[in-house]
Amino acid sequence: MNGGLGRIFKEHPDRRYIMFGGKGGLGKTTFSAATAYYLAQQGHRVLVFSVDPQASLSDIFQRDIFGKGPVEILPNLYAQEIDADKRIKAYQEEIRKKIFDMYGFDKIPDEIESYIQAAAAEPAMEESAIFDEVVDIVVAGNYDYYIYDLVPLGHALYYLSMASVYDEWIERITKLREDMRQYEEMAAAIGKDKELEEDMILKELQYIKHRISTSSGILTDREKTAFFFVIIPEEMILIDTQKAAQLFAKFNVPLSGYVVNRVIPESLASQDIPEYLRNRLQMQKGYLKKIQELFGNEVLAQVPEFERDITGLPMIQKMAEAMFGTGR
Amino acid sequence: MGDEEKRGIFGSLKDKFKDYIYGMAAHEMTRQALKTRGSMEHLFILITMGDLLGVPILPPYYSLRLLPYVVPQISTWKRRMLREKDLTDALA
Repeated sequence: MNGGLGRIFKEHPDRRYIMFGGKGGLGKTTFSAATAYYLAQQGHRVLVFSVDPQASLSDIFQRDIFGKGPVEILPNLYAQEIDADKRIKAYQEEIRKKIFDMYGFDKIPDEIESYIQAAAAEPAMEESAIFDEVVDIVVAGNYDYYIYDLVPLGHALYYLSMASVYDEWIERITKLREDMRQYEEMAAAIGKDKELEEDMILKELQYIKHRISTSSGILTDREKTAFFFVIIPEEMILIDTQKAAQLFAKFNVPLSGYVVNRVIPESLASQDIPEYLRNRLQMQKGYLKKIQELFGNEVLAQVPEFERDITGLPMIQKMAEAMFGTGR
Repeated sequence: MGDEEKRGIFGSLKDKFKDYIYGMAAHEMTRQALKTRGSMEHLFILITMGDLLGVPILPPYYSLRLLPYVVPQISTWKRRMLREKDLTDALA
């Protein structure tokens, strides 16, 4: 079973967008970092970035990378944490500047200014801003692999549904805008009006549509994207993951397999261990069996519970070896 | 009377005649098309900028991009959306 993960990467070299999803605290960031480490060691140029406003890549790499753009951790290995606030502020400023340029106001009208501020306070704003920055990162195409350190399940679903909601919404208003255009053309043709100006709004809408379809396109691209679920041998996690897997399938996310984290080494059973640990081992055995029944071949790796938490490069390296095996 | 002048008179007559025909036949159509376009414009602003009226319709990130283009319409649009309807609406 172990080594399956490495095999998947070798068999599908076109899958350049790698995502680990799962409930909070199961090890998505750990796996993202370790996978990035492994791929960089293989000679690929890798960027691991976080789409979570509460990112923890800084913690795992033990370096403050928040809002600093892509930071080189090791040769070929880059990490990035997006500062959503900074992006939103810059974006608001861009909008204000555009209004100044277009109308030559001395000051933004109060009504407009309060709208700009209120919009930035919306709860969805951070996610949307990150979503938008990810498009920039990916479109730039500076890396061989992009590893998304995803948000916990609920949010990830929100993120995915946002893509499809946006997609549909934009589709409709673009259509409305085009209809409006037709009436305008009609009026211009019948009347003896001047040349029509270019519809800037329609142009903006098409731009927005293009960005959204780029990012939702990646999330659902079977050739280029691999999505792995992180699970641990516990009942609730298994139930939730099954539900989530169905939902993800609905959004056409290409599920590539499961990675089991936090497996207490079975070799401990033969040692002199307390009853407490023996019970946990017993319980785990049941759930590992269940995992095998549920997911079978799709289980790509089992990773042990380590003696300490995974932070810093030496531990990340150990984790990468556990996930992918030491053999090259 | 020179040729030039003649053409001038006929030319302006021709223009007048064109305006006359346009007024009779096409002006109403043009007006109607522009009116429909105007209503659609308001509908468009409503579905993209609805938050301005307190109607949250969309994640606002991208709708903010459209804001600069609708600045001039915002005040008339709000008036139109919020005013009460009366009999004269039917006549308009």
